[in-house]
Order: sequence, then structure tokens, then C-alpha cells
Amino acid sequence: MAEIQFTHVSKTYGNDFKAVKDLNLKIGEGEFVVLVGPSGCGKTTALRMVAGLEEITDGEIRIGDRVVNDLAPRDRDIAMVFQNYALYPHKTVFENLAFGLRMRKVPKAEQRKRVEEIARILGLTDMLTRRPAQLSGGQRQRVAMGRAIVREPKAFLMDEPLSNLDAKLRVQMRAEIARIQQTLKVTTLYVTHDQVEAMTMGHRVAVMRDGVLQQLDTPQRLYDAPADLFVASFVGSPPMNLMEASVEQGGEGILLRLGEATLELPGDVVAERPALRGFAGRRVAIGIRPEDVREASGWDGARLRGRILLVESLGAEQLVHIEITAHPLERTDLVDAAAQPPSPSLGVDGLERTVTLLGRFDRHLLLAPGEAVELAIDPRLLHFFDLETGVAIPKAEVPVAAEVEVAG
Amino acid sequence: MSAVTPIAPTPVAPVATRAPRRRRVRKLGWNLVGLVVLIVMVFPVYWMVATAFKPGQQVLSYTPQWVPLNPTLDNFTEAINRPHFWDSVKNSLIITTVVVALSLVLAFLAALALAKFRFYGRKAFIVLILGVQMVPLTALIIPLYILMSRVDQVNKLSGVIAMYLTFVLPFTVWTLRGFLLGVPKELEEAAMVDGTTRFGAFVRILLPLVGPGLVATSIFAFIQAWNEFIIAYVFLQSPEKQTLMVWLASFTSLRGTEWGPLMAGATLTSIPVVIFFLLVQRRIAFGLTAGAVRG
Amino acid sequence: MVTVAESEYPLASRRRRRFSRQRIGRGLAPYALLAPAAAVIGVILAYPLYLLVSLSFQKYGLFELIRHKGRGIGVDNYTRILHDSQFWQVLGRTVLFTVVAVSLTMVLGTAIALLLVQVSRFMRLALTTGLVLVWATPVVVAVNIWHWMVDFEFGVANYALTKLHLGDFIRHDWFESPWSGFGVITALVVWGAIPFVTITVYAGLAQVPQELLEAAAIDGARPWSAFREVTLPLLKPIFVILISLSIIWDFQVFQQIWIMLDQRPASDYYTMAIYAFSQSFRLSEYGLGSAIAVVMVLFMFLATIVYLRQMLKAGEVH
Repeated sequence: MAEIQFTHVSKTYGNDFKAVKDLNLKIGEGEFVVLVGPSGCGKTTALRMVAGLEEITDGEIRIGDRVVNDLAPRDRDIAMVFQNYALYPHKTVFENLAFGLRMRKVPKAEQRKRVEEIARILGLTDMLTRRPAQLSGGQRQRVAMGRAIVREPKAFLMDEPLSNLDAKLRVQMRAEIARIQQTLKVTTLYVTHDQVEAMTMGHRVAVMRDGVLQQLDTPQRLYDAPADLFVASFVGSPPMNLMEASVEQGGEGILLRLGEATLELPGDVVAERPALRGFAGRRVAIGIRPEDVREASGWDGARLRGRILLVESLGAEQLVHIEITAHPLERTDLVDAAAQPPSPSLGVDGLERTVTLLGRFDRHLLLAPGEAVELAIDPRLLHFFDLETGVAIPKAEVPVAAEVEVAG
Repeated sequence: MSAVTPIAPTPVAPVATRAPRRRRVRKLGWNLVGLVVLIVMVFPVYWMVATAFKPGQQVLSYTPQWVPLNPTLDNFTEAINRPHFWDSVKNSLIITTVVVALSLVLAFLAALALAKFRFYGRKAFIVLILGVQMVPLTALIIPLYILMSRVDQVNKLSGVIAMYLTFVLPFTVWTLRGFLLGVPKELEEAAMVDGTTRFGAFVRILLPLVGPGLVATSIFAFIQAWNEFIIAYVFLQSPEKQTLMVWLASFTSLRGTEWGPLMAGATLTSIPVVIFFLLVQRRIAFGLTAGAVRG
Repeated sequence: MVTVAESEYPLASRRRRRFSRQRIGRGLAPYALLAPAAAVIGVILAYPLYLLVSLSFQKYGLFELIRHKGRGIGVDNYTRILHDSQFWQVLGRTVLFTVVAVSLTMVLGTAIALLLVQVSRFMRLALTTGLVLVWATPVVVAVNIWHWMVDFEFGVANYALTKLHLGDFIRHDWFESPWSGFGVITALVVWGAIPFVTITVYAGLAQVPQELLEAAAIDGARPWSAFREVTLPLLKPIFVILISLSIIWDFQVFQQIWIMLDQRPASDYYTMAIYAFSQSFRLSEYGLGSAIAVVMVLFMFLATIVYLRQMLKAGEVH
């Protein structure tokens, strides 16, 4: 087992394209860290630099206590699971699993013993004499995992290993990979574009965009306290509702003008976010998680009026699309492109703007499209962001999880 | 981790196989080897052209002159003035253009049948096409001669054209079939919904789309017809019916060997082919071995 | 496939009529399209193939040529050649030549393909262009060039070899002894065959998925092991095709020998193709020549089958 450390790592292609910019990241021994982000964010490049498949333009990568910048992949004692599995097509499953051991001159009897044990753990014993072409996608994926495990490397590197599987299989394999990692306690760096995978599997998750690390934190903290608009819109499905609002100085307190509603922010909310005072007279971005969108019965605070556009029944709950009058977020470059809501519609006279909120509602509520509805605005559930930079207006005393204690 | 014997530890001393300086030196070494190989392979071709431009005494000298220092066109004039040069050029051109034109038409039609229809005997025909390419010409020349003499097609351009056509068709049909298979069926169907007949769709939609395939196969047919020797040698016996290749091959037996003009003649003969070959080489190699590597 | 056919008939009967016309139309169309090409191939390839075999069982000399009809003599041609020591010499010579030529072509061709991977991009372009140039040179032209290069008086080969102190080659006649003569012929044939092998193998190398080599590198394979364990097995189908094609082509070698020796090769330069050819066209024994040609085809048959099977397996036919 070893830690993996990135220190000021950059990767530049040609003369100008920077795929990874000044990445600093430490993965502790036995930790499972997920690199997640949209295509082109640099996560795969970062992984390949650890593997030795890409040259490191700047900075240092350490595995254990060794700087590996100039080491060939085979000398780094790491194992990699590729997106397309990269199984040797002309070799049997047994030979695929044993290949790494053979290359390291492990004695034949030992090879057989280890391969058979791994095959047993992964349920591949009946397939040892088959070739990859005769296996299903899920079986191939397990062989790819097995090939990595059998070598007992210092670290696992995984490049989107589940992307080629169908949804159900993916859910199953997710759990299996997580379980295997916990049992073996191998340091793992895992790359994916799927935020659900990232959240469910990692001890910590690193969100990347355009080569830059946006936030490194535990899944829960990423969800509850996103560091900027991008992370806020990227993490969580369905995505966070985003819109613009204006902050005003209202006598002693701070007023928030959100759509047609104006509400005074309670003292504790303001106290938690000292920087908010500096935004008086300016606009900010506001985020509300879908599960925090509530119907206003029994609420005596500020309300928003809205109209139901669409009700999607998910069985366990309902996803309701509600149109409210509010200023949509115009800085679409600050958010995750895939999470963009349908384009805002111009009101009748061009001045009114609407935003479609997604709310997660109890499945027993009777809601129908076209109905008017009133929503409760609880300022304690709102997320605030600087409109210029996209950075979250931070809550005081937010410990950033630089290290994580790995259980067991 | 588990109760298994640990692997032999990998050496700690980093194996700096990727230090940039060492890599550059290695690359330079390979490039030098590449240069040597290039020179060795291309030398004969260079030598032909160099000799063609050298005046007589420099050609027939005991110490070869590596570069033609006083280039001259005398050899070319000499070669061109040989008897039947222009006849041969004419014959070669006639034969090749007719073969190219006919093969395009016949191959396109046949490729259509193979690519767009399912019918009884399709697989048999495909095997026939592939297999027939393997029958050695040197064996077939004997019965062909017998056959052609029965129908009085010996010493006639038309007979040669028919034979060339035959040898060119299998490859051209196969290649065009490949191109046609690459055109999505939806395009034809859209055309038919829009109002053409099936055959109309073939001509109006498919034909233009396989343009590159037609170009490639016509170049291939041209090269095959232009370069062919054996059939032309056996069948076109009178000097005025010869093709350029036969003319070139008979160069030496006429007046002893005049190497300068011979090389000039050889250069002239090669020009059209070299040009076309450079245009189409990748496709030819691919067609013969397509899909062989499974990844 | 629905054919939008036009018709003037009223709807009900039009439907039925269109249906039957469609059926026939569709059924016959492919055959109609194939017919011209099939006819040409049939007349000039298939029929002569049959004729070749039937000729081999006939006596067909000048007399028969004029009368356009042969005389059946059963297996006499075959017994004659099988008992002729020259036949066996020629066969042996052809087999030996094929083995040597194909081996050299494959080894050198693959080596150069590997070299192509290692050199810089500019050199790769230069080498490929050079190889294509060699490939483009017509055989007749190539033979003349080599004939000139090994000319006993003014040829550049004798000069260079002497200068390199590899022996005294002044006025050396390369064709005096069939061994050195075949050496030249082999060099010529291999030279002309290398480009095709190199370019094809190189294309195959490029098709090996990068990921597999990366996985092998991570698994601990050194470059040579990766080549042996991953690349070579993937290239096997290509090698099968190239080797069988080369055997088919080299076994029937004719032009190079014929033209190099001024269309009058001595009998110890005979290969199967030349032997069959001279029997037919020089001695006007077309029946005998056919029998020799049949044996030649049979010998190549195995290589042909292997080639066909590999091509079909490669998924071209579905």
C-alpha cells in the first residue's frame, strides 16, 4: 500500500493546451479517491500521469515515498483497470490474469494459486479457460479487475471501468468494487464522469473542470457545502435549482429579493455567512436543492408563488417542475453544462423572467400540471454564490477535509 | 493484505528509460538505419533514371558515375525513335482505357448485386470471386491461347481487352462492394420514398457516393492493364500490335543492349503507373487484407 | 424492399399486379446485374480452367491447333512428366526458390515495418514513399534495371562489390552459374515484394489497440515481451494472408526469369511456370504443358485454401 501525491502537477499538450493545471492532491494509504468531472476536465490525464502513460510536464507525482516522474509504468508497481478492459483477446482468462505475474517471474505454482483464488473471489472459476470474446461485459469487467488485484500492487488506478456496462449491471458492480477495495484496503484512484458513481464509491471526491481541481471533499460535504457553482450544479441528481437574486441592506438586516418575494434573512443565517454583508446592493446566485423545495402549508415565513408545469412520478417520490417568477442564472459558463435547465422563457413584456424549479415531493401529494402552488422559502436551506466568480459565499468555520481517516 | 507469498520486490533504483536525451539518441540511431534502408531500396529506381539522363560514354564506363553531371535527353530521343514505339504507346493506351471503362461499368453492376440484394448463389459467387483471383495466369495462358485461336482472337486488341477485363474484375467488384456496403441503406430508402425506382436510387444516389471507390478501382485497373506482360507477349505477336511492356522487353534482343536508351524507355514506361500508384497505394494494400487484425 | 412502381391499372388489380411484378423484378434484378461480369469471368476464367484440365488429358500439338481439336490420350501426359527427371528437378527448384524468396520477403518486410514504427515521422514518410515507388515499378522495368545493374561489364553491382573488397567481381557474369543467377532473380523478386509486405504489416501494427500495449506495460512487460505476447498473436491473421499470397505469387514466377534471360532461359533456370510455358509455346506441346500447369495449380492449391479461409474468417462475408 502506498499513498499517491500530486504536487503542482501540470500537463501541457503542444505549446498551449493545458489539460491539467497545477494539481495538488494527496491520496492516503488505503483511501478510495474519485476524480470526477465532465469530459475534457483532465481527470483521465491525471490518472494516466500516475500510471506513467503520459509524460508529466510540470510538478511531481509520488507513489509511496518515490518520485515516479521518470519511471516506466512497469516499475511503478501499480495496476490499472481500463474503460474498455484491455483484455488480451488471444489469451484465456487464466492467462490474462496470470500475465502480470508471469512478467515478474513469479513461479508457476504460485501463479496458479493466486489466479485461482482471485477467480474464486470474483466468481470466474468456470471461465478460466475461455477467451474474452466469449464473456459478457460484466464478466470481462471482473477479469479486468482480477488482473489488477492478482498483482497486489501498491495502488489501483481505474479509468471509468463501469461506463460500458448497462445501468443495472453498473449498480451491481459499483457495490462490488467498493466492497473489494474495502476488503483489500488498496489505495485507489478512480476516474469517472458519473457523479452518482463518485458519490457512492469514494471516501473523498475530487471535482475537476478544465484541468483545475474545484473541490476535494467527502461526498456529503460536496453535496451540502459545494465550493462553487460548478460543483453545486454538478453534484446531485436531479441538479440543484439555480437562479439570481439581489441582496439589499434593509435597515439592520439583509434583505433578499428573490423573484416576487422579498424576505429578511434571519440573524443566524447572516451570522453564519459574514461575507454576505459585503454583497449588499449586488446580485448573487441562489441555489436550492430539489428536496428542499417544499409546499408552503404550515409555513409562516416568505413564500413564492408558482405554477406546476409537469409532474414526473418516480414511484418513491414525485419530481415536480414548477415555474416561478425569478431571474434565471445568466452566467451559464459557471455551471455544469449538462445540468442546464430548459432555457428560461421571457415573460409577456420581456421584463418578467421565469425559472423552472425542480422539486422532490412526497408521493402521496396530489399535484397536477397547471395548478398554482405556493412554495416555502427557508433561508437556512439556501446556498449563496458570488455571481462574478461562481465561488460560494462561505459559511464560517468550514473544515476542509484534507485527510480522511480510513475505517478499519 | 492476504496470506499469500509476496512478489519479488521491484528494483528500487529507478530505471530511467525515459530520460529525454537517451530517447533522442536512440531515435537518431533508428533514423540512420532507416536512411540506409531507404537508399538501398530506392537505388535501383534512381539508377534507372540517372542512367537515362547520362550521355553514352558515361553509361558505358567501367567506373560508374553516381550522379549524371552532364544530363542529356539523347537516350530518350533514341528510345522514342525506335521502331514501333508510338504504335506501342497507342496500343497500350487503347487497351487500358477500354479496360478501365468497361470494368467500371461491369464491376459497379455486379457489386450492386452483391451488396444490395440477397439471392440464391450469392455466397457461391463471392467465393468464386475470391478464389478465381488465385488461379495462376501462367497456367491459364495455355488454354486461353487455345480458346482464343478457336475464335480468331489471337493477335487482336479485343481479345487482350477481354482477358484483361477478366483479371481485373474480381478485385474491382470486391472493392466496389465494400464501398457500397458502407453507404447506409437509409439513403436509398429515402430516395425511393421520394419517388425514384430502386434502380434509379442506385444510379442517382449510390453511384455518386462511391465516387472515391470508382476512382480507386479505375486506377487499379489502369495499373494492372498497363503493367501486364505475359498475355500481351503471347497474344500480340506482330510488332505493330505490341504494348509498351512488350516493346520494352524486346528492346535488348534487337541490337545488342543499348543500356542508356533502354533505361530511358523504361523510365518513360513507368511514369503513368508511378503517378497513379502514389495516388492509390493505401487502398490496394488494405483491400487485400482488410479486417484481418482483430483488436 | 418496396419498389415504388407506377401503373395505370385500377387500384385493386393494380395492387395484385404490382405485387407479382415486384416479386419477379426483385428476384431477377441481382442476376441481371451480375450477368455481364459473370459472363466475362465465366468465359475467360472459368471455362479455360476447365479447358486446362481437359487439355491435360489430350495430345494437342501444331496439327491439333490448326484443326482446333485435340486427341484424347488419357493420363499419358501425366505419366510422362512424372517419369521425367527434369520435371522433378524443376519442381524441386521451384519449391526451393519459393521457400527462400517467401522467407526473405517476410523477414525483411516485417523488419522494415518494425523499423517504420521506430523512426521519426519525416523518415517514415520518406521510407513509405520510397517503398511505394518500388512497388509501383512495373515488373518488366524492374527486370531491365537489375539486368543493367548486374551487367558483367559496366554493371554497378560488380564495381561496388569489388570496391567493398568482397571479392573480385570484375567482369563477373552473374548468369553463368544458375546458383548466382537465381541469387540475382531472388534478390529482384524479394526487392519487388517487400513494399507490399511492409506496408501491410505496418498497417496491422497500427491497428493493435494502444490500450493493450499500455496494459501490458503496466503489467510489467518489457517492449520485446509485449511485442511477442501481444502484438505478434494479433498479427497472426495478417501473416497467414501474406505468406499464402507470397507462396502463390512466387511459386508461379515467370516474367523475371524469362525477361532477364532474354526470353531464352537455359533449362537449369526452368521453374514450373517456365517449364509449362516452353512445353506449350516453344515445343507446341499444349497438352503436356497443360498437365504441368495442372500440377502447378494443385501445388498452390493448399496455399490458396488457407488464404481463402483466412479472408472469409476475417468477417468480410456476412
